[in-house]
Amino acid sequence: MKRTVGEIMSRTGIRIPLILWTLAVLYPIFWMFLGSFKSNAEIYANPWGFPETFNYQNFITAWTEYNIGSSVFNSLIVTLMGAVLCLVLAIPTAYAIERINFKGSNVLFTVYISAMMIPMVLAWIPLFFLLNQFNLLDSLVGLAVVYALSQLPFTIFVLTSFISTIPKSLEESAAIDGMSPYGILWKIVTPLSMSGIITVTIMNTIQFWNEYFMALIFLQSEGNYTLALAIDYISSEAQYTNAWGTLFASLVIAIIPVIILYAIFQRRITKGMTEGALKG
Amino acid sequence: MVQTKKQKYIFLAFCLIPTFIMFSIFTLYPLFNGLYFSFFEWSGASNTREFVGLDNYSKLFNDDIIPKTIWHDYFLVVTKVIGIMIIALFVAVALTQLKITEAPFYRIVFFFPNIMSVVVIGILWMFIYNPSLGLVNSGLEKIGLGEWARPWLGDEKWALPSLVLPSVWAGIGLFMLLLMGGIANISKSTYEAARIDGANEWQQFWHVTLPLIWPQIKISILYIVITTLNGSFIIVQVMTGGGPNNATHVMGSYLYQQAFKQYNFGYGATIGVMILVLSLITVLLLQFLLRREKVEY
Repeated sequence: MKRTVGEIMSRTGIRIPLILWTLAVLYPIFWMFLGSFKSNAEIYANPWGFPETFNYQNFITAWTEYNIGSSVFNSLIVTLMGAVLCLVLAIPTAYAIERINFKGSNVLFTVYISAMMIPMVLAWIPLFFLLNQFNLLDSLVGLAVVYALSQLPFTIFVLTSFISTIPKSLEESAAIDGMSPYGILWKIVTPLSMSGIITVTIMNTIQFWNEYFMALIFLQSEGNYTLALAIDYISSEAQYTNAWGTLFASLVIAIIPVIILYAIFQRRITKGMTEGALKG
Repeated sequence: MVQTKKQKYIFLAFCLIPTFIMFSIFTLYPLFNGLYFSFFEWSGASNTREFVGLDNYSKLFNDDIIPKTIWHDYFLVVTKVIGIMIIALFVAVALTQLKITEAPFYRIVFFFPNIMSVVVIGILWMFIYNPSLGLVNSGLEKIGLGEWARPWLGDEKWALPSLVLPSVWAGIGLFMLLLMGGIANISKSTYEAARIDGANEWQQFWHVTLPLIWPQIKISILYIVITTLNGSFIIVQVMTGGGPNNATHVMGSYLYQQAFKQYNFGYGATIGVMILVLSLITVLLLQFLLRREKVEY
């Protein structure tokens, strides 16, 4: 079929809004990177342009004077612990719900899934006191536990649907060979679900790395600040300290791991998130 | 080896019970305890908890700020649904139907803000709105609309609408993908048939695409509504903290202020119950309103 002139025009016309939105997305991010290399004087004189020279001073200041270094470390610890704990809790439950016949498996699944839609903000007040009783308030371990549990329903959901795609015959023949159900779970099902486990773990990792509000509530001392809290702190102080360049540098530090994960796992992340939303 | 019933139950318990105990302690118990808290006046110290019955609820109904926070939440819900759905629908149709060669590039770029931290998004947009440094005001001055420049986030009238743009900006990608998934499932022959019947591209959009991706549209709207009602306070907290003069407080940020800044934990829990009730009612109502016979061609 030949394309008419009008069609070609409309193909070009359609690109204009697409390119504008691309600029709207990329320019602020790009500008944040530029800002992190500018001195304060430059930020005021020329907020939206290129820096005259690229200097790393802002990163050094952020890392040393504003404790971004230790908050990066805290964020890493919390993210890692949260992601591992979430898997440890989710894999056996997802397997049991999907593969073992027992009364109430549907009810249990529904309970977990409905927790995805409940506004957890109500639970945060009692959780605050509960963590206090367990001596887990203002503690990275406590925050990691809260994070793990916050993503548990989503993780169970993704893993059950993934495990359902694994052929049953492998488990059956392993059982005939005398493997215990624990062995089947650990040596057969877990490796076979690795793709689903990786997808959900990447998404949990990004979630925990980015998380702000629970950290705001459940952490108190500056030494425990995660990256999001440290950045928020620099931002709220910046109107007095004028440390804008430092603020940009710390934003860049926060976003780089996310960009790297997205660059590597773009397909998994987009697929996981759309599937999560379709059910959630 | 055939498992005995006992072994099966032990394995089942091993799989389910530790997880469920953790879930009960850190999710179920706090939720129900939140309901319970709402009947107490409590400043956090253990011996000052006082049962006050429905006092917190009558305080809720007489609090002048509460109706404002509800209105602000629903303002964000409605503007976000409209903004995100229009742009996401346009982008999804453009990227699937119009044979644009660089479509994967747009898809990857548009999705990225979805995985950015709210803190990063909020602070970036605070700069964009900054009265002296910001992109918005300097842009307005450049095109000769300098008198429209204002301290966007510091202006009682404009602060709340200013929060919509970052939320839409950050939200497009996911819904674009959801809708693209829906469009990809429509068979080519349906469009073929419509074309043979003489339908132009607009008619194809209205009579083929839109009805057939209705399930995805419905899910997208529900998802935006739920995440906004349950999570709009995060961007509010980062960008304005509820100010100026409560002009941007939403229910969640007001709860945070009452409970964790002013130590009215009982009243905070009451606000939490209100959020729970309102979001459940809204979701049920929406599901009723958005129901539509399934279309099949």
